[in-house]
Amino acid sequence: MSQRVDEPHDDMRMHITAPVIEPGYDFGTVTDKISAIVLRRRTPPGWFFGFSISFIITMILMVTITHLVLTGIGIWGNNQPVGWSFDIINFVWWIGIGHAGTLISAILLLFRQTWRTSINRFAEAMTLFAVACAGLFPLLHTGRPWLAYWLFPYPNTMGIQPQFRSPLMWDVFAVSTYGTVSALFWFIGLIPDFATLRDRAKSRFFQVVYGMLSLGWRGSARHWFRYETTYLLLAGLATPLVLSVHTIVSFDFAVSVIPGWHATIFPPYFVAGAIYAGFAMVLLLTIPIRKLYGLEDFITGRHIRNMAKIMLATGLLVAYSYMVETFTAWYSGNAYEEYMIFNRFKGPYMWLYWLLIFCNAVAPQVLWFRRVRHSNVAIWIVSIIVSVGMWLERFIIIPVSLHRDFLPSSWGMYAPTLWDWTMFIGTIGMFFLLLLLFIRFLPMISIFEMRTILPQAEIREEEA
Amino acid sequence: MDASHTTPVETSRFQMRALIVGIICILLCVVGAFLITDGLRQFFHAYLMGYVFWTGVSVGSLAILMLHHLSGGGWGLVIRRILEAATRVIPLMFVLFLPVFFGIRTLYEWARPLETIPEGHREVIAHKTPYLNIPFFMGRFVFYFVVWGLLMFFLNKWSLEQDRTAEPGLRKTMQGLSGPGLVLFGLTVTFAATDWVMSLEPEWFSTIFGLLIMAGWGLSAFAFVIIVASRLANRPPLAGVIAPLHFHDLGKLLLAFVMIWAYFGFSQFLLIWYGNLPEEIPWYLERMRSGWQYVGLILVLFHFAVPFFLLLSRNLKRHARTLAIIAGLLMVMRLVDLFWMIAPVAEVHGGGALGLVLNYWMYLLAPVGIGGLWLSYFAHQLRQRALLPINDKGMENLLEQAAAARHHHEPELQGIDRPEHI
Repeated sequence: MSQRVDEPHDDMRMHITAPVIEPGYDFGTVTDKISAIVLRRRTPPGWFFGFSISFIITMILMVTITHLVLTGIGIWGNNQPVGWSFDIINFVWWIGIGHAGTLISAILLLFRQTWRTSINRFAEAMTLFAVACAGLFPLLHTGRPWLAYWLFPYPNTMGIQPQFRSPLMWDVFAVSTYGTVSALFWFIGLIPDFATLRDRAKSRFFQVVYGMLSLGWRGSARHWFRYETTYLLLAGLATPLVLSVHTIVSFDFAVSVIPGWHATIFPPYFVAGAIYAGFAMVLLLTIPIRKLYGLEDFITGRHIRNMAKIMLATGLLVAYSYMVETFTAWYSGNAYEEYMIFNRFKGPYMWLYWLLIFCNAVAPQVLWFRRVRHSNVAIWIVSIIVSVGMWLERFIIIPVSLHRDFLPSSWGMYAPTLWDWTMFIGTIGMFFLLLLLFIRFLPMISIFEMRTILPQAEIREEEA
Repeated sequence: MDASHTTPVETSRFQMRALIVGIICILLCVVGAFLITDGLRQFFHAYLMGYVFWTGVSVGSLAILMLHHLSGGGWGLVIRRILEAATRVIPLMFVLFLPVFFGIRTLYEWARPLETIPEGHREVIAHKTPYLNIPFFMGRFVFYFVVWGLLMFFLNKWSLEQDRTAEPGLRKTMQGLSGPGLVLFGLTVTFAATDWVMSLEPEWFSTIFGLLIMAGWGLSAFAFVIIVASRLANRPPLAGVIAPLHFHDLGKLLLAFVMIWAYFGFSQFLLIWYGNLPEEIPWYLERMRSGWQYVGLILVLFHFAVPFFLLLSRNLKRHARTLAIIAGLLMVMRLVDLFWMIAPVAEVHGGGALGLVLNYWMYLLAPVGIGGLWLSYFAHQLRQRALLPINDKGMENLLEQAAAARHHHEPELQGIDRPEHI
């Protein structure tokens, strides 16, 4: 029995675990099945339905932004003492969701986890759209988004330089780098598939469009060699971003001295939370989409189960952080720290806190059970709960820490306005709008990478 | 048991030597403790440092073992028996806690009568008394060891059973315990870190501290296993089974641990420096003056920067001996890190160059002494069992590959450092 001596991991995994692609496919049928969604199959009515709804919601977002720009950010509910609220909650929530995409595409690639192959394209797209939604919030919170370039250190006649000691400044660089690298990674990953679509498209218009996007890809050995090198290098570049972006987001809070914000555990806690929320979102989206498009052979039960396990592991880390935060608040002996926890437990927003604990720390524990991990419906429900929980977590951290200032005379309450809600829900609409366009016009599963995990691909390599 | 699968005979000679070195060092420390000024103070702090370090190697190995059971992979199979032997030293560490217990009032300000504590600290320490008091402290200590001991016991028992019966279900059983086991590991180590190290300065606190110690323990355990594996790699039974590929994987994981440690350490430093709060910043101020800043600098350079850049090299990771040298450096750095955390608390000063030697020599001997006992017991444990879990399902594959590679004269899988085979 001959084996690939260099990869005992993968071989071993093949023997003991469920497949990452169901049997019975060859290079042609894989290509057919994925490209047909874009090129030949009729767009299902569900797509049009989803598109219409998300289009309407996106229009609500447009109205909100117009009103916001014309009137000013006073239409939002945040005001002293709660200076940050929905704008930052939603920013952190969206940017966290994006992290799963980078983790799947970059880190799992470096760790030679072949099961990532059928979900990476989709997750990367999700990252990109989530970052787009996230970016809107701080941009609009500046009040005059047309002057956002002031955030960059450029030589100007006003003699103004940005404050480099502020993590908000680091955020500008971290998030813009993240957006750029994610877009590059996604686009480069698409190039061979663009070429496939170019060759298979029937209409002249699509042949030209896909042709231009494929940048003259011919699939020669030299193309592939350079391509693989580039892709690995980009993966290496993207890996630290998974950590750095959310670490810097956590610095936005933790460098301050506000109880509930200033905690040294914040960086890893935020990173774990981001991956947690991100995998919840990937599961939330893939479970129905694979069913809708009949892609169960490519996105198999193993994918869903592995993602559920990662969700459980990161969820435990998040729960650990809640525990340590609570213990240390008491252990510190600092009256403000202790009050912060007391206020979470029994303050005016306590029901949100306990809901958060249920969503993020209690409910996901059902994933310990094999039976639950084998039920897609159950996993789907858990991922909705987690998505809500991660949003609540940011609500608890941000306004709930701010509304009780050091001096009781400065205490206040916070409630979002209608425009806060329309802005938040509007970005959800925009996210789905972009995602549906992506599914319709681009291959949502990487065709060429799927071909490499077919058993046929292994044999060819050995003969060579 | 197949004799060809046990450790080489040199191990028993090593076991004896380590024991002798260990006992001599400990005795020297004990003598020093009673002879020199502030000797007891130095002894207990130095002993605590060595104790935390070596407990970390055992408990860190336990965590890596559970990670291996959960994730699988060839890298874990080839080191599993080393990890298991390291976890079986846990009972010894339970006994070796005794000196810490005797020194509890010297080490921990909170353990002294409240009246003797300086005014400034008294209120905050009184607040923590429900947690920081001797009976509860000892109770927690016992609890941690019960948890670690039970995890160690069952994982080792089932692994041995697997050797004997080849029952395939045992793999799942070990996996089943490892998930909850890691959760318990996280909780126990967090509180052990708080008890043993963080509470040395009872007014100070940091939420990341548990994670920081976990990363450090994981790192020292990993470095230790790499060193042992590299020593065993070119002799049977591991020769020909453990391949450069495995060292490559181990090296990658070592790099990951180096990065995680640096990430946690930097996060803690940056946030405390930035916040500059009176209850937090003294911990760093103390460690950034009167010479301690150079120790800190050594950590930045040799606990992170140098190993980080070296471990990026693929060739280096695949070469067992060089990888072991870096692992050795990291083990030393783990001690330096604990030294930097623990020794400034002892506040022993004065005496110029001679004073430097007199006030700090036990920090060298105590970890060597505990290490001697630890290593001797470890070597004894390592000899008890086959060096490879021969009946694990993944093992078949691994041996087959090794055989195939020998058959085809594949240079990579043959020996570890035999360049003449190219």
